[in-house]
Amino acid sequence: MLNIKIGEDIIYPTKIVCLGRNYLKHIKETNAATPKEPVFFVKTLNTLVTDGNPIIYPNILYNSQKYNRVDHEVELAFIISKTCKNILVENAYDYILGYSVFLDITARKMQISDRNIKLPWYRSKNFDTFSPIGPRIVPTSEIEDPHNLDLQLEINGEIRQQSNTKLMLFKIPETLEYLSKFVTFVAGDIIATGTPSGIGPIQPGDVIKASIEKIGHISHGVLLEKVK
Amino acid sequence: MKLGDHTITPTKIICVGTNYMDHIKETGLEIPKEPVLFPKTMNCLILNNEPIIYPKFLYNNRKLNRVDYEVELAFIIKERCKNVPLNEAYDNILGYTVFNDVTARKMQVKDIVSKLPWFRSKSFDSFAPIGPRIAEIAEIDDPHNLNIELKVNGKIKQSSNTKYLLFKIPELLEYITKLFTLEAGDIITTGTPAGIGPIHPGDKIEASIEKIGTLTNKVIMEGD
Repeated sequence: MLNIKIGEDIIYPTKIVCLGRNYLKHIKETNAATPKEPVFFVKTLNTLVTDGNPIIYPNILYNSQKYNRVDHEVELAFIISKTCKNILVENAYDYILGYSVFLDITARKMQISDRNIKLPWYRSKNFDTFSPIGPRIVPTSEIEDPHNLDLQLEINGEIRQQSNTKLMLFKIPETLEYLSKFVTFVAGDIIATGTPSGIGPIQPGDVIKASIEKIGHISHGVLLEKVK
Repeated sequence: MKLGDHTITPTKIICVGTNYMDHIKETGLEIPKEPVLFPKTMNCLILNNEPIIYPKFLYNNRKLNRVDYEVELAFIIKERCKNVPLNEAYDNILGYTVFNDVTARKMQVKDIVSKLPWFRSKSFDSFAPIGPRIAEIAEIDDPHNLNIELKVNGKIKQSSNTKYLLFKIPELLEYITKLFTLEAGDIITTGTPAGIGPIHPGDKIEASIEKIGTLTNKVIMEGD
């Protein structure tokens, strides 16, 4: 089993489930339809990196005119505390360990090109290091209302994304109720709740800082993958 | 998880879609220029003789009430690897097994049409039966010449041979490891041949691959 140390917690995630299209302004900027039910996809565990470690920009993307755009997406993530299935809205928080800052790094041109030919949203989301997470897990008891937190992303000190979690379309309890109809979650599983507007490209050499009020910030340099 | 004599600890399952020409024709999908990849999550895995659970909310919904079998050859990664060249592919593979990529078909088609991710239709609990054992690399001379078959209640529904794979195992591993790091125990499946069709509560599904064995799973209704 893979373990990862986030702040003082060691967790053993088996999956990362991400919501797409969960902030209206972001839905507009990507020309997507507003979903009637949560849209979700998964990221695999090879994508996880913790605070301070680099995001690796893959060579095969950087050197391809067709694919050379990789984007930042800051998101609020929550971590599951125990095995659960078919959770109801009113019990959702009983199954949540806490919250963390998450970056859903995405090979944007590859994602769009795959989506346009009706292929899965998979490879564009799952390069190694494409899921920075941290800097700690804040227990649910420390945050009264997870739907009223400022979130922000800076590149080299310039603000690129700025919003508040109150603008989420599907709130955390609804998300957990919906997702746990499909899959059993186990302790350590990570759920990311979607990104607000302001997505844009990252470049080798950039420093990405993603913050959420009451949680903290994660900071990652972007490195071009070394050629063997 | 224990597969025959081997114990593996997978961190991911990567499936290849549309990899047999006969299956591509029956689904009306385009012939891919590169392998089409999608994931299944760990909650899907079940072993030989464990039940496939038919989700109630699919069964009770006319728009969603079709769940299909898909027999596939899977291979298991031996050790951590990235950027594996074709000629070293087999050094990174522990062995082969039988895999059934159970799929909520109507939900998948609906999601594909709306250009949504192929995830929810593929990742219900118990939608990835695997086993009965891992046949090690040395046991199988040529993994691209194995009869592959699936029966529902004793009737043959899929019958093909792995020689019809569009992308062969070394090409798949080279392609996938250009994108992602794989870990020991990770499961890669190679796609299903023609003949896909629905399963129902009460059915007995037998998926077999020559030289590996038969994976048997009954279908039960969620809650029963």
